[in-house]
Amino acid sequence: MGFGDYPIEYNPNVHGPYDPARFYGKPDTPFGQVKLSELGSWLARRNKHPSAFAGAVSRAYWRWQHKYVQPKRAGIAPFLHVVFGSMAVFYVLNYGKLTRHRNYKYH
Amino acid sequence: MLSRAILTGQTSRALLALGSRTTSTSAANNQSASDAPQSQSKLPRPVRQEPGKVRYAFIPEEWFQFFYKKTGVTGPYAFAFTLSTYLVSKEIYVLEHEYYSGISLLIMWIVGIKKLGPKLAQYLDKEVDAYEAGWQESRNQEKQVLEEQIADEEKGQWSVEGQTLLMQAKRENVALQLEANYRERLLAAYNEVKKRLDYQVEKQNIERRITQRNLIDWVVARVRASITPDQEKQNINRCIADLAGLAKA
Repeated sequence: MGFGDYPIEYNPNVHGPYDPARFYGKPDTPFGQVKLSELGSWLARRNKHPSAFAGAVSRAYWRWQHKYVQPKRAGIAPFLHVVFGSMAVFYVLNYGKLTRHRNYKYH
Repeated sequence: MLSRAILTGQTSRALLALGSRTTSTSAANNQSASDAPQSQSKLPRPVRQEPGKVRYAFIPEEWFQFFYKKTGVTGPYAFAFTLSTYLVSKEIYVLEHEYYSGISLLIMWIVGIKKLGPKLAQYLDKEVDAYEAGWQESRNQEKQVLEEQIADEEKGQWSVEGQTLLMQAKRENVALQLEANYRERLLAAYNEVKKRLDYQVEKQNIERRITQRNLIDWVVARVRASITPDQEKQNINRCIADLAGLAKA
């Protein structure tokens, strides 16, 4: 599977038009329903190839797009998501410098 | 080699999917429709979603629902409050100068959204409606044009059926003309033949008459030529004698 290809499991005669937010592989147990004892085997079953990570991020992005950006009467929520998300990202990036501004020596 | 690689495996599937994606807005002329027309109607099509529910303009409703099952309504607020208290008091979250500029920015954002938001939403909704109405109108116009074309086509077929009737009538007319012409010619031929036969009859009659007269003339002339003066005298004498006999009687 190279760049720009569809997932291997995707078959247009079965699935219809391609939905970038959909996972076409065989679904595993959702993470929220995994028991702690099964967590190790659940993690071992994950596909850890970089393209799988990229696919997961892409699907999440498109899920967010379909839910907040693409609707007919979308509100201001997606813009604020971007604003607050970038705030958090840059706070993390600059955290090493920001800690210099601490006021108290002892907690 | 390259063409074989294109025709096999993943690439061809990707090409097929690409073909089906390029026309995915209309269900009728789909690339995969020609491949599997019977399964086309059953294939699930993605539908446009309603916007996800949020609280405070951006926090997803699912976040509150996640807390609601375990902690009730106040759970997420208590969590946010306690977590921020912890982060601030331990200075994990540092309240430096950007924090205060952030607060002022947040206030400006809130005021701006509250003041301008409804008007902007109203304007944009109107734009969306106008945009959709424009597309809908062009779609309806297209549909109307196609329906008119169908009606014209049906009318054309109907008038062509009328043409067959007209053609039949013309054929009958031509047949009548042919019949009349045939009879006319038949009559002409009859008249011509009769004229010639009449001529022949008349000619024969005349010839016979002339022949008869000639024969009579010839016979009379011969008879007269055969009469001698003696015979004439005898004849006259005989006539006189007959007259005398008659006078006596």
